[in-house]
Amino acid sequence: MKPIGHKMILASAGSGKTYALTNRFVQLLAHGAPPERIVALTFTRKAAGEFFDEILNKLARAARDPQEAARLAKDIGEPQLGAADFLAMLRTIVGAMHRLALGTLDSFFAKVVRAFPLELGLGGDFEILQEHGVQLERQRVLRQLFARTGVELYDAQKEFIEAFKRATFGAEEKRLSARLDRFINEHQNIYLNSPDGKAWGNPKRIWPEGCAWLSKNGSVRGAAEVVRRWAAGAGASEKQRKRWDDFLESHEAWKPGAELADPMKYLLPKALEAWVTLGEEPVELVVERKKQVLPPEIGAALKVLVRAVFAGELTRRLEMTQGIHTVLRGYEAFYNDLVRRAGKLTFADVQRLLMPETGAPRLTAGGRAEDGRLFVDWRLDAKYDHWLLDEFQDTSPAQWSVLRNLIDEAVQDPEGRRSLFYVGDVKQAIYAWRGGDPRLFREIFDHYNAVAPGTIEEGRLDQSWRSGPAIVSVVNRVFGDAAVLARLVPGPTADRWTREWRDHESAKPKLGGHVAWLHGDDDEARAALTVRLLSEIEPLERGLSVAVLVQSNDAATWLADYLRREGGLPAVAASDLHVCTDNPLTTAVLALLQAAAYPGDRFAWEHVRLTPLAGVVAAAGEGGADGLTRAVLHQVHEDGFARTVETWLRRLEPVLAADDAFSRERARQLTEAAQRFDETGSRDVAEFVQFAERHVVRDAETAAVVRVTTIHKSKGLGFDVVVLPDLEGTALATRRRDGLAVQRTPEREVEWVLDMPPTLFHENDPVLSAHVDEAKADAAYEKLCLFYVALTRAKRAMYLITKPVGEKSTSDNFPRLLTETLGTAGLAGAVRIGAWTGEVFFSEGDAAWFQAIAHQNSAGADAAAGPSELATLSGVVAAKRHPVRTPSGTKVDVVTGAALFGATSSGAANFGTAVHRALAAVEWGGVTPELLAVWKTAGLVETVVAEAGACLEARGLAEVFARRSGGEVWRERMFEIVIDGAWITGVFDRVVLVRDAAGKVVEATVYDFKTDRTTAEQAVQVTERYAGQMGIYRRAAARLAGLPEARVRCVLVLTTLRGAVEVAGGGAD
Amino acid sequence: MPLPRLQILPWNQPLVHAVTGWLARGWNGEGPLDLADTLVVVPTSQAGRRLREALAACAAHKGQAVFPPRVRMPDQLTSPDAPAVGAAVAASRAELLLAWTETLRDADLDTVREVFPLDPPERSFAWAVRLAREFIRLQTTLAENGLRMADVAERAGEDFPESARWRQLGALETACDAALAAHGLRDPQAMKIAFAEAPALPEGVRRIVVAGTPDPLPLALRVLAAHAAAGVPVEVLASGPADDALFDGWGRPVAVAWATRLFSPVDFEQRVRLCADPAAQAGAIVSCVLGYAGPGGRLAVGVADAEVLPSLENGLARAGVPAFNPDGRPLRGEALHTLLTALSELAGREPTFASVAALLRCPDVLAWLGGDSARLLAALDDLHAEHLPPTLAAARAQVSDAGLAKAIESVVRLRALLLVGVFPDNVRTVLTEIFKEHRFDQTRPEDARAIETAQVWATVLTELEAAVRRFQGLVASDVWELALRALGDSPRFDEKPDGAVELQGWLELLWDDVPHLVVAGMNDGRVPEAVVGDAFLPEGLRERLGLKTNAARFARDAYLLHALAAFRTDGRGRLDLLFGKTSAAGDPLRPSRLLMQCADADLPARVAFLFGHAEAARPSPAWRRAWKLKPRADAKIERLSVTAFRDYLKCPFRFYLKHGLRMQAVDPHKAELDAMDFGTLCHAALEAMGQPDSPVRDCTDAAVLRGFLLEELERTARALYGEQPVLPLVVQLESARQRLAQVAEIQAQLRAEGWVIERSEWKFEIDLGGLPVRGKIDRIDRNELTGAVRVIDYKTSDKPVNPADAHVREPRRTENVEALPEFARVFSGGEEAIWTDLQLPLYREAVAVEFGHAVECGYFNLPKAAGETGVQVWDGYDADVQAAAMRCARGVAAAVQARRFWPPAELPASANDDFAGLFHEGAEASVEWTQEGDA
Ligand code: SF4
Repeated sequence: MKPIGHKMILASAGSGKTYALTNRFVQLLAHGAPPERIVALTFTRKAAGEFFDEILNKLARAARDPQEAARLAKDIGEPQLGAADFLAMLRTIVGAMHRLALGTLDSFFAKVVRAFPLELGLGGDFEILQEHGVQLERQRVLRQLFARTGVELYDAQKEFIEAFKRATFGAEEKRLSARLDRFINEHQNIYLNSPDGKAWGNPKRIWPEGCAWLSKNGSVRGAAEVVRRWAAGAGASEKQRKRWDDFLESHEAWKPGAELADPMKYLLPKALEAWVTLGEEPVELVVERKKQVLPPEIGAALKVLVRAVFAGELTRRLEMTQGIHTVLRGYEAFYNDLVRRAGKLTFADVQRLLMPETGAPRLTAGGRAEDGRLFVDWRLDAKYDHWLLDEFQDTSPAQWSVLRNLIDEAVQDPEGRRSLFYVGDVKQAIYAWRGGDPRLFREIFDHYNAVAPGTIEEGRLDQSWRSGPAIVSVVNRVFGDAAVLARLVPGPTADRWTREWRDHESAKPKLGGHVAWLHGDDDEARAALTVRLLSEIEPLERGLSVAVLVQSNDAATWLADYLRREGGLPAVAASDLHVCTDNPLTTAVLALLQAAAYPGDRFAWEHVRLTPLAGVVAAAGEGGADGLTRAVLHQVHEDGFARTVETWLRRLEPVLAADDAFSRERARQLTEAAQRFDETGSRDVAEFVQFAERHVVRDAETAAVVRVTTIHKSKGLGFDVVVLPDLEGTALATRRRDGLAVQRTPEREVEWVLDMPPTLFHENDPVLSAHVDEAKADAAYEKLCLFYVALTRAKRAMYLITKPVGEKSTSDNFPRLLTETLGTAGLAGAVRIGAWTGEVFFSEGDAAWFQAIAHQNSAGADAAAGPSELATLSGVVAAKRHPVRTPSGTKVDVVTGAALFGATSSGAANFGTAVHRALAAVEWGGVTPELLAVWKTAGLVETVVAEAGACLEARGLAEVFARRSGGEVWRERMFEIVIDGAWITGVFDRVVLVRDAAGKVVEATVYDFKTDRTTAEQAVQVTERYAGQMGIYRRAAARLAGLPEARVRCVLVLTTLRGAVEVAGGGAD
Repeated sequence: MPLPRLQILPWNQPLVHAVTGWLARGWNGEGPLDLADTLVVVPTSQAGRRLREALAACAAHKGQAVFPPRVRMPDQLTSPDAPAVGAAVAASRAELLLAWTETLRDADLDTVREVFPLDPPERSFAWAVRLAREFIRLQTTLAENGLRMADVAERAGEDFPESARWRQLGALETACDAALAAHGLRDPQAMKIAFAEAPALPEGVRRIVVAGTPDPLPLALRVLAAHAAAGVPVEVLASGPADDALFDGWGRPVAVAWATRLFSPVDFEQRVRLCADPAAQAGAIVSCVLGYAGPGGRLAVGVADAEVLPSLENGLARAGVPAFNPDGRPLRGEALHTLLTALSELAGREPTFASVAALLRCPDVLAWLGGDSARLLAALDDLHAEHLPPTLAAARAQVSDAGLAKAIESVVRLRALLLVGVFPDNVRTVLTEIFKEHRFDQTRPEDARAIETAQVWATVLTELEAAVRRFQGLVASDVWELALRALGDSPRFDEKPDGAVELQGWLELLWDDVPHLVVAGMNDGRVPEAVVGDAFLPEGLRERLGLKTNAARFARDAYLLHALAAFRTDGRGRLDLLFGKTSAAGDPLRPSRLLMQCADADLPARVAFLFGHAEAARPSPAWRRAWKLKPRADAKIERLSVTAFRDYLKCPFRFYLKHGLRMQAVDPHKAELDAMDFGTLCHAALEAMGQPDSPVRDCTDAAVLRGFLLEELERTARALYGEQPVLPLVVQLESARQRLAQVAEIQAQLRAEGWVIERSEWKFEIDLGGLPVRGKIDRIDRNELTGAVRVIDYKTSDKPVNPADAHVREPRRTENVEALPEFARVFSGGEEAIWTDLQLPLYREAVAVEFGHAVECGYFNLPKAAGETGVQVWDGYDADVQAAAMRCARGVAAAVQARRFWPPAELPASANDDFAGLFHEGAEASVEWTQEGDA
């Protein structure tokens, strides 16, 4: 069979990426590849699930329908295949389902690590920490760290403190823990990617050629004096003199890290502008609108002052960066000890274990073991021949470095039996902040093709199967205008974008639809307009899907609620909801827990009193603080948080309005959160409350709803109608302000890390400004990607709502791009959408498009919505279930704490058991050598033998063991019986039966051995205590022996007293 | 080998009935049903229970009872009922763990590089014990087919790529065996294997019946074969169609036969259901359970995926339906386990305060201490908030509350008991002490549960005691760790509540006879169970070693599915199968492959059905307020502090919550000084400096002043926070030191300029329209050269505060200024402004009596930045400002007296609002305020 070849596909939005991927999978199957040898990796679990579903559904369709089969056969380039072939493939893949390597990169890596824990330096198996687990662990680590005291601080911790002070120069010091938490959150990833301190705040790395600002400087004091003297004379105006004086004064007062005072902000840029000639020749500066000439010696003195400021600020930043590194290293060491070593890893940890630069052995699927490579094929029972990588633009260099070896083998397979296929869209690279690097796409292609030209074939998909012509036309206009882009974004960004840009084409030219750009001044107005549009279009009623896309989670939550409240629309925020704290019901229950565990918390107490919970507490009889504390703590410790929370919520149930579905849903969600927390095994109320406060859930995804979600989360999805009311924002080329600047080599290794100084400083340093420019270009690229994603979600209609862009506006943000590409600023005219008429900036397509789509009849929708209940059976005979009683369960027994926990507790039980065993060995009579031999073989200890022997010899027990004529003994005999409808399982210690001459049992005596210490006075009590138990023995023995109960005697044998007590009863029958 | 006799019982009736009937065949009901000479092998203990119950019921039909057979599970066949005397003793789990731990820690890793290519991160006890567990698991799996580690390399065959690794594992195993032998112990798996060579039959057993056990251990079969060879009749019962080709001689489903058998009930699509997630599966089951008035005996639930269990249990609890899980649940999280965990920390080197607090929150400890628990815990929180004690010792040193002091002494006593004795006697002593007053009553379910847990604990201790005696060199914390883990992993078996719904695992279901069975979690990987990827025993090796493979599991589970469906047909029963689309964590799941065992022609439709969309959940309901908060309006406010004015001006309602209802939160995670603590700490030193008897009142030498202030700081800090403050405090104290050092410079300068501290911490009370207002002025300075007087307040915020900015603010952009009370508004410099604070004006008013009206006022800022330390006077403060301020103050006082606390201010999200958590969607909307007297 011909080799299948390697392929890279650049797929534009909606161009059938999944279609191409699933086809590739089918094509591989058609080539005879066993499904378990195909690795298909995606980024999200959801995508993985959908991918698999789609393969199966595709094969099922083709297997069922010859036309579908023919189409699929043609699509995969194997026209000879028919329905039967696809059915066979379907059977194959179903049979191999459990062995498929089809999932997320994370889970694939975890599977590999799990197969090689010792090879990768782990101590054994591990668990993957989920998001909430990570948070809890971090809190615990910090708490442990903080509980250390000054005296026992290790040197490392003292260093930690010093470093933290250095790292947070000038920042708030009094909220150390909160700050540190945030601090670690922000910087930890950078540290983990570059743990080596040499990259952090190291001037040699940043300025290998040396940094002019940090070079030797003259005396600052002297220079200031020189400037002062010159400024005082030299025929300057009064205003100019004051400028210079103020400058010198603020220069003296300034400390690194402080904001530059206005006089500095005024003069520094002027000096920097003239930097080249300053001090070399007379330089003219305009100060207070008049020219001043600085002779060379004054220029030189000014240079000294400026350099001092730069040196001060840069040095401080370098120190801070080093400090940050030290803090992170300290924290990491602690975290490592407490969490990772205990076998709790995050997905990021797992990935790091596999990265070649950490020294891990390389993965491989074949070849020789000469270099300690890890053979995934043996341990994972899988030989991976074919690689399918989805959303490749989001792959990080780190992830690629792990996969590289395995994939290398496939690409370089001389016989071409193995293959690589990767697909994605560099225009949808919105996960750069997570490490995704769209440049890899081309680099890999170039790399392999440089070795052997034509190795990887390039494919392009630019036809949109999702969007109609109106949408596609707008997308082309907005994103395909190289000239406008070149104006609005940095040059490299525009180049990168334009290089891979191809105009899109709609594969559904007949699909009706509309794009309108509407006007809304603020959030409220835009939300109201959204409601209006949706109520005119009525997409849900027409069976159309609809989404409202925004830029942040908060915006999604707010807007979804607005749509529900103001518009009565079934809106769902596909964003994180703080379900335990966003409503009065669950906050009150949390307050109750807090008040109970921290009775001094007057806030929590009063909070409870402000709510109906107060009445519930009183009604439950836990009115007082003490009662509540005991009751709640008791319940938490006995049953966990889920049950505790559940109890109180149930008590609150009558308080809720009958139709308050919302609060009931929150109640359920709180219980679910508690259930999750209970899995940690913790019973710490404060920890639980904190957990609940941070617990978020996402609203369920459903079909017939208006989905309000972030653009990020909408990636990969398509909707008939899309509203975009949140497109404003900062300039496209804005560097991410948070976090440290990380400079990487072309190989993506971290070159240096620096806490970037403010603009004035980095602008005037060639190295730093190059870095910032690059970062801005990257940010602009990512922003373009984000808006590209936003504008390519719609199938039929899209409504953009923004503020008008002013003529003079200089903000190069997205509305500006719209203005420059779709038309000049200003209103284009009015448009009528349903009954609403409004002004628009732009409109294309048919504004009344939706009227051609009829309302769906609701009966059909209902049938689809309501799942049928699992039926119940009537009239069928139930299986017999008897309540269970054990004879010992019938005794009323009270144990003291001492008896339960004392040293003798288990000893006594063991002794008792052994004595039972010894006596069970006795058929009749006294201690014989044979009996002793039996006891010895049974391994009974001396004391037991002595005790049992004494019993046999005791006069008071003679009756028990005396041989009787016609007698028969049951020893340690088990029985099962149903008495009064209850099922009883028991063991007779000893029963002596007497038979008459005919062999019929005429009499039976049940002996029950009691080995607990009893005094003679207690004997009566004992018989009372065991009356119930003996009653059961009597009835059982009577039934088994075929006697009336009156003929059965019951005798308690008290071994320590060496006496027997008869238990009366048995007159009942 | 004489083969056992296989009997195929018809499967159109429940297995348990078929087996019971078979065992009772030929019994005429005269005399008890005596099966005492029979050993019956069943797959699980629950199956055994079912069988015994059915036998009892069977006998009861004829008015009789049963001498039951010996019921055993396959793995019980591989060890003798009673160990022979003199033979080596099987190592307990604890001993085995310790032997492995010792072996691993002592091993020369260079000799086992195939096992450990890299050095482990640390060869600690924790590392070794974790690995030991792994190795024991491995040994147990291998022993299922009578193998030990050492056998693997040879058994795996020629081309086995990891034979070197397994030889080294074998060497480690040998070393472990030797470590055990040194103490007269033997590896329990090795003993099982040896026993299987020449098994002994339990006394009195004459025949063996293997019943309904589709998946016995190979080693157990070896035992059975040996018995059969010795002439004991062995009969095997399997239920199914009467076709010999479907089972092997041991009643095991034949893989090829079952792997291809079609599962195509006519009503497939009514019986199989796709659910979105575990909660949806649970929901479907709960509503089904509710459909039965009392489900006892009619409905049982199978849970093939344990992940569904928590949702299901909670769902049933919420619906008020008792549920029973025969598998039991681990004791981790049981009250005793939590208590012991706290005790283990108490036994540590230096018990932390957190561990003391955790211990004191154990209900059993509270009960032991007696008295008012709420008061005790409140005192504990106060101690924490005021002194941040890091350790038990520090808490002991700082405690002032008598009740708490007593409690802490009790804890100290417990610690002493723990440290004095030897494990485990010390633990026993401590528990005996804690529970000495407690009487556990068997009849109370809660106590019965505690008794059971205590008994497990006793067993754990006994086992561990013996182990620790043999394998020495463990430190106390290691032993605690082992004990807690052993207890936590042990299961607890609840008693089954009458009429409860049983929630059973997949492998239990074969023996259930309820007519309606619902199985949740029918997802691939669970049913059929599939093991993919294993660090030691990948599928390829399992196959070579004759261990259980995925193919065998598939056949077993296919058989089980058919058997479950077989008798629940024709209206006599019903089998529902649920499977999830995603796991709780959101991982995609796939339906069981068994559900796709259909004719090829049906497969596309089946696939389309099984891989469809999960049924739509309903959209989330719109946000809605369950209730409004109803504050009582009668809380008294009889006086005001100067600082309270700020609160009122910020928001009158929050003012009421704070000063009327006195709502003040406890921060259980407080780990450092808050702003107030920090201020108090600095103030203490500053106050001492200004006292009339202060040696440095007139000092102009910054160094001396610094020395004084720092010493005062040190003294106060030590008094408040002890000798060993926690880590963040070290940082904060350092910050305080720097600030005070800077104060010394400024103070020296001020004195030199003629400023004398006239008063320090001067308390006053003034009357505003009948409402007393109290305050304390940090200091009043008089300049001996100019005679000027000024009132000064120390500010320890990080940034310097300008007095004017702190007292008035500009209106917010969206604010409706007209709605504010008249007194809160002020015109300054022609601009409208709003009062936010009245502290300095009130001070000034208070000192006027003595110092007249021309007094200056301002802040002494002690910010972080040294350069900004100093006195900042309120510029432009004049009589007009004072008059406006006092008008405002009187306005507030009058409003408070008139109890005008409504409406609340709607503060922006950025505001630092302690009460934000109370309000949802607006403060005013969240509260139903009834003015006193209105109601
Ligand atoms: S209930 Fe008892 S008597 Fe009836 S069939 Fe079952 S086992 Fe036999």
